[in-house]
Amino acid sequence: MDMDNEQPEFIELPAAKDSHRWVAVTALLLAIGVILHTISPNIGGVTPNWTIAMYSITIGLTNPSLSRALGIGFIAGLTIVPSSKSAFPLGNVASEICGALTAAILVKAMFYMGLRDFRFRPFITGFFATVVSGGVFTFILKIILNLPLNVWTNAMLPVVMVVGGLNGVITQALFAPVQKLFFMQEGKRHE
Amino acid sequence: MNETAIKFTNFHYGYINSDIILHNINLDVRKGSFTIISGPSGAGKTTLCKAMAGIIPYYYGGRYAGDVEVLGVTTKGKRVSDLAMRIGLMLDDYESQLVSLTAGEEIAFSLLNHGFAAEEVEARTKQVLMDVGLPGRENYQLDELSGGQRQRLLLASVLAVHPEVLVLDEPVSAMDPDGANALYKLLYKIYKEYNMTVVVVEHNINFLLPYVTDMIVMNKGRVAAQGFFEEAAAMTYAIPELRRNLPELWQVKLNLEQRFGISLRAWRKEAEALEELKEKFVGGALG
Repeated sequence: MDMDNEQPEFIELPAAKDSHRWVAVTALLLAIGVILHTISPNIGGVTPNWTIAMYSITIGLTNPSLSRALGIGFIAGLTIVPSSKSAFPLGNVASEICGALTAAILVKAMFYMGLRDFRFRPFITGFFATVVSGGVFTFILKIILNLPLNVWTNAMLPVVMVVGGLNGVITQALFAPVQKLFFMQEGKRHE
Repeated sequence: MNETAIKFTNFHYGYINSDIILHNINLDVRKGSFTIISGPSGAGKTTLCKAMAGIIPYYYGGRYAGDVEVLGVTTKGKRVSDLAMRIGLMLDDYESQLVSLTAGEEIAFSLLNHGFAAEEVEARTKQVLMDVGLPGRENYQLDELSGGQRQRLLLASVLAVHPEVLVLDEPVSAMDPDGANALYKLLYKIYKEYNMTVVVVEHNINFLLPYVTDMIVMNKGRVAAQGFFEEAAAMTYAIPELRRNLPELWQVKLNLEQRFGISLRAWRKEAEALEELKEKFVGGALG
């Protein structure tokens, strides 16, 4: 006890990383996405794609590897198939894989550029993931329904852009609350 | 008996974003002892427990200095799951530590995670349920068990990996006095039967007076007293603000000894105290 006032050399340690929290976060958000996707109304011909917003949030929060993002996209695609109102539901699997990979690449790129705390990071991921996913999906539709190219470029892509903007806003709005909910203990994990 | 089960050397610790909680902890928990950690709230007792199991600092993160050795091996660089094979930890919020649907699954959970064979898991499950007084309850749903039974189940699941050291943080905080007495009686039986080292954090140490061999008293993140119970109790009594952390019987005993300059036996039960008091005070020399 005689050394009480002596300041020892402290070793700083980060809190242990949760290795599987991303699974819980992803599963829960995708489930919420499915419900919203099923019940959300169509406003002026446009519905936000909640599922894309949800995996954009997950990917933004957990920065998964590309193979993991591929898995998230695959599952996300499967979850929309049953509630899809489109002519070719299975196209969702392909398009969501592309969307999830886009989101993951964007998140990695922004982390790399030091934009980790950039305020509109969720909007950017949500927007581009939706545009890529929607673009791929509508292109698959174009091929399957044998539509002319200008229907895709002039009629479908503008809608995709609008949905993209909508999704960007949703992703942006939900990102902070979700982060707070799932990662509230980070950094002050005691008692 | 002079081997050390847990040894803290100049250990300091502070959680992330918090002040230093433990200051220069130097202590030994003897192998084979039934040690109680006592002290006022906020003294760092729970933190000390977590440090024994290595989850402080390696899971929570934070700042630390010094070293903690468990059974002669430093916790540095050890995974919490490796330490868990040798030191069992039971935290006060026992409900949050139950993860399965049935009693059998709950006990098997940690064993299967450690890679035990199915027959071994079954045999151990059966044995520990017997040990904690829940024989044959493997297939009971957790909600079919009462609070006290769930707590004993948790104890069983910790015991199933056969840890050499058992650390319990206020295990009876949610129980009535009868339940608390029963749990400690059970704990003592297991301690005797398996020759374990037991460390219990408890602020109402009246429950433990019959069993305790060693005591550590914490105050404001420092060790205020440690050693054999009798010695540590005397050290604690010398610090007025910590007196009420002693068993009531010993507060009486030490007070009488101080006031009358006499020496009384090491009481463990009220009956012993009563007998000696009658002998010495009623019609005796001091009467």
